[in-house]
Amino acid sequence: MTTLSRSTLFWQRQLLILLALAVFFVALVLPFCMAVLWSLVDPSTPWAYPAVLPPVLSLRRWVEIWTTSALPQAMYNSYTLAACVSILTLLLAMPTAYAFGRMEFPGKAVAQMLTLVPLILPGFVSAIFFSALLIELGLYSRFLGILIGHTVGLLPYAIRLLSVSFSMVRQDLIDAARDLGASRMVVFRTAYLPVLKPGLLAALIIVFILSIEEFAISYIVGAPDFTTVPTILYSYLGYNFIRPNAAAVSLILVVPNVLLMLIAERLLKSADPAVMTGKG
Amino acid sequence: MKRQRLTPYLLLLPGLFPIVAFMSLVVGMAVSQSIGYFNFAGDDRFSLEFWEGMLSQNQFWRVFWYSARIAILSSLISVMLAYPVALWLRRPFPGSDLISAMIKAPLLVHGLVAAFLFVNFISFQGFLNVALVKLGLIDRPIRMQNDSYAIGVVILQVWKNMPLAFLVITGSVRAIGDDILDAARDLGAGSLARLRRVILPLTLRALQAALILIFIGAAGDWSFQVVAGPTNIQSMAQFMHRVQSDNAAHGWNEAAVVAVMLMALSLFGSLTLAGLMQLIVRRMGR
Repeated sequence: MTTLSRSTLFWQRQLLILLALAVFFVALVLPFCMAVLWSLVDPSTPWAYPAVLPPVLSLRRWVEIWTTSALPQAMYNSYTLAACVSILTLLLAMPTAYAFGRMEFPGKAVAQMLTLVPLILPGFVSAIFFSALLIELGLYSRFLGILIGHTVGLLPYAIRLLSVSFSMVRQDLIDAARDLGASRMVVFRTAYLPVLKPGLLAALIIVFILSIEEFAISYIVGAPDFTTVPTILYSYLGYNFIRPNAAAVSLILVVPNVLLMLIAERLLKSADPAVMTGKG
Repeated sequence: MKRQRLTPYLLLLPGLFPIVAFMSLVVGMAVSQSIGYFNFAGDDRFSLEFWEGMLSQNQFWRVFWYSARIAILSSLISVMLAYPVALWLRRPFPGSDLISAMIKAPLLVHGLVAAFLFVNFISFQGFLNVALVKLGLIDRPIRMQNDSYAIGVVILQVWKNMPLAFLVITGSVRAIGDDILDAARDLGAGSLARLRRVILPLTLRALQAALILIFIGAAGDWSFQVVAGPTNIQSMAQFMHRVQSDNAAHGWNEAAVVAVMLMALSLFGSLTLAGLMQLIVRRMGR
């Protein structure tokens, strides 16, 4: 009786796994394959109903987008912006994360709640009225405007990630280093840095990705002349829906970010202090 | 001594101050523009005309309830799909890591990319139409894009937010100790009773958090609506943006009214939904 129910349970589970795989295939793998195919459609022979597959495949679209559209400029904008945003965000987040991760003080819980406020304000509300604020203040640099907007919007993530890293630094290591007469710098290098490093890198990568992906502020504050990768993608999805171009830009937006995110996740997993110090 | 007590607050400044300053300035800007201050056209003076004008428009209320409906449907469906999966994956088994990773994958896909993939999938030339024709289910491709019931928008919202709900719920489902469940079983609770009286109450907070997060995101949606939504109605964010850019003289003021109403919808709508969930879970636990 028990063996029977155990084997039914086993088959039930296998069936559910198969179902999950099927859903994943239809919901994610297939749409991405379609995007890859669309980006490879040769401009000379369109892919039209009833052809199941594109008649001619070529890389000409990719070359065309790269040489004739604003994509290289948008990528340059996105990546420089993201680099500045991630460094600035991390510098601002570090002291606050230290306080959250290693100190007890009255009002800590309230302060932690307050850092999360940007996450619940609707993106387009903050984008549109941030742009009103910029007009009011007379700040017309689009780069600077977006830089400020992204930094504030992404601070919550950096503070949260780094607080966890700071709280994982072991007090006994700090004390030991101090007892042995280490200077502040040496204490930081030996007790803090090894534990903080993966968290710092992960936070840097995550903020970098989120800045590249941010759309509302880039679109509203940057319009019409400052383009980023998501705003370029949007321009191909709007009134003039250019499918092959949208497919190519989608891949440019997703693939590097997924690879970076996998690295960040690996870093966060390795951030266990027991692994790093060899002590349980 | 005094300096030491001040240290944590000084450390908070670089991270917390920009957030608090930015948020209060942005929200303050929206509220004051809605009542006639910080005008870009004309003099500043207190006035409720923009509120009266906007709230008496039928179109505004259609947009408001449309966004509310999308937000309710998206958050409820996402949570309802994520909950059983999180329960299923509570205890690891061969293949469970792979399934978790597959479920979380949409988190890495940009919203606009997701919208593009979806539109491409269901379009006239898309995979779905071709497959249906080849299977002989339909004679010729049908138009599914920008459907007027906003089914496409809800599908996209669920696609993107179900992983988020899954993440939030998984944490709390895994935190339920086996001893509690064993104790309930020893006391004669069947699997349904265990779900109603033990698991649901213990995961209520996570359920509420997921509902609130998804509700706020979906109520303020712009991208999914613009790319895949119905063309005969707008979402709150889309409406706000259009009012701001189209209505020359008082566009900002009217958009500010929409913004304040959107913030109110996000806040009160999500809290109401969370409260209702609490009521339902309590009632089921009886």
